[in-house]
Amino acid sequence: MTVVRTENLCKSFGALEVLKDVTLAVEQGEVLAIIGPSGAGKSTYLRALNGLETITSGRIFIDDVLVEERRNGHHVHRIPPKEYAKMLLKMGMVFQRFNLFPHMTAAENVMLAPVHVAGAGAAEARRLALEQLEKVGLSDKVDEYPSKLSGGQQQRVAIARALAMNPEIMLFDEPTSALDPELVGEVLGVMKTLAASGMTMIVVTHEMGFAREAAGRVVFMCDGVVGEEGKPEEMFVNPQNPRTKQFLNSIL
Amino acid sequence: MSGFLEKLIAWMPSLLRASWVTLSLTVTSVSVALIGGVFLALGKISKPPALRSFCSAYIFFFRGTPLLIQLYFIYYGLPMIHSSLVIHSAYLAAFVAFSLNVAAYLAEIIRAAIQSIDKGQMEASRALGLTYAQAMRLVIIPQSYRRMIPPICNEFVMVLKDTSLVSIIALMDLTNQSNILATRNTTPLVYIPAMILYLVMTGAFTAIFNRLEKKLSAYE
Repeated sequence: MTVVRTENLCKSFGALEVLKDVTLAVEQGEVLAIIGPSGAGKSTYLRALNGLETITSGRIFIDDVLVEERRNGHHVHRIPPKEYAKMLLKMGMVFQRFNLFPHMTAAENVMLAPVHVAGAGAAEARRLALEQLEKVGLSDKVDEYPSKLSGGQQQRVAIARALAMNPEIMLFDEPTSALDPELVGEVLGVMKTLAASGMTMIVVTHEMGFAREAAGRVVFMCDGVVGEEGKPEEMFVNPQNPRTKQFLNSIL
Repeated sequence: MSGFLEKLIAWMPSLLRASWVTLSLTVTSVSVALIGGVFLALGKISKPPALRSFCSAYIFFFRGTPLLIQLYFIYYGLPMIHSSLVIHSAYLAAFVAFSLNVAAYLAEIIRAAIQSIDKGQMEASRALGLTYAQAMRLVIIPQSYRRMIPPICNEFVMVLKDTSLVSIIALMDLTNQSNILATRNTTPLVYIPAMILYLVMTGAFTAIFNRLEKKLSAYE
């Protein structure tokens, strides 16, 4: 079963084509790493999946259900808004800049959606939040405000916050790019544990070590198209596309 | 000098009564204007074009015309348009005029504060499944409070002084009362206690808002 699938996904900002016919599918339990130079459309692709960007044309399937189809910016098909909102809940998202809510403690950040979206009681949501924060190793920080946490800790709270809604798939948009180098490891560690637990993941990343170790498949994007995809051991050792080769040489 | 003290004591009851008019008019009208300002601000940044235009037009009108004319018009002009629009109490007319006018200014303050919140906050809220309204109520607006406090305090201070305009509809506020006492006693010295009373009131606003700002900054 594919958790997320796109067919011929296109996205333009005015005259600028950011995504051109991106066709990708992610199987349940798969960890897909998307790599590529900046401006390749990697983040836009993730944001299009969970509705933060409106696509120009193409199709998006979630759990094999066609949730949205557009052509030239116009709707051809879409499921009712309530069902669409439910579908989006199957995706958890982690942002480059964490985007924690600064006026709420770590636990309150994690509790917000369970209480106000899923309708959990406060006590139940708090219990769930502590559980999620324990999983990311932050049991001692539950009542701290984000301003009192390091970048790595903030990102781990953000992961716990997304996990609290029990998503089927986690989308990571350059989750370690805003971190000081010494804090990258703790976040990648949490992500590796999550991958090992069978979570389906799409990770836009510049961490080639992570892509090589934790991803089952790597997609190289450049100029809005999928340049190459394959198993990490193949792509990193013997890239086929000259653009992939060039990119890997420039960063490794 | 002892003569001045005696006079001061004699003036005090009427000056204090007038101060109460000034203070209560300020607090009630700004409070109502705050509620109106929130709705105008949210309307101005909302999607429906009709709502946006209405809010923009409202703000354009009430910020773009003199408060003095608005006050005149509500008290003297509206009854000429239709007899049911008459407001008999000068205090009530002033309250209506100030509420309508100040709401326009507060709307812009509130809108600016809301729009200054990082876009990532709305995106994270939506990604978690919150509706736009929930994201506004639970995430965006609570963060914007702290940024509104200094300009709202400023607005309170401005309105407190602007209420002196109500003497034109014969409402006995602190300025009007001082003028009357000054004329009756042929001494402008009455303006000294009047100014001190204004300072006490604006000082109180500033102190309250400073505390509020500190409290709301606790998480930073």
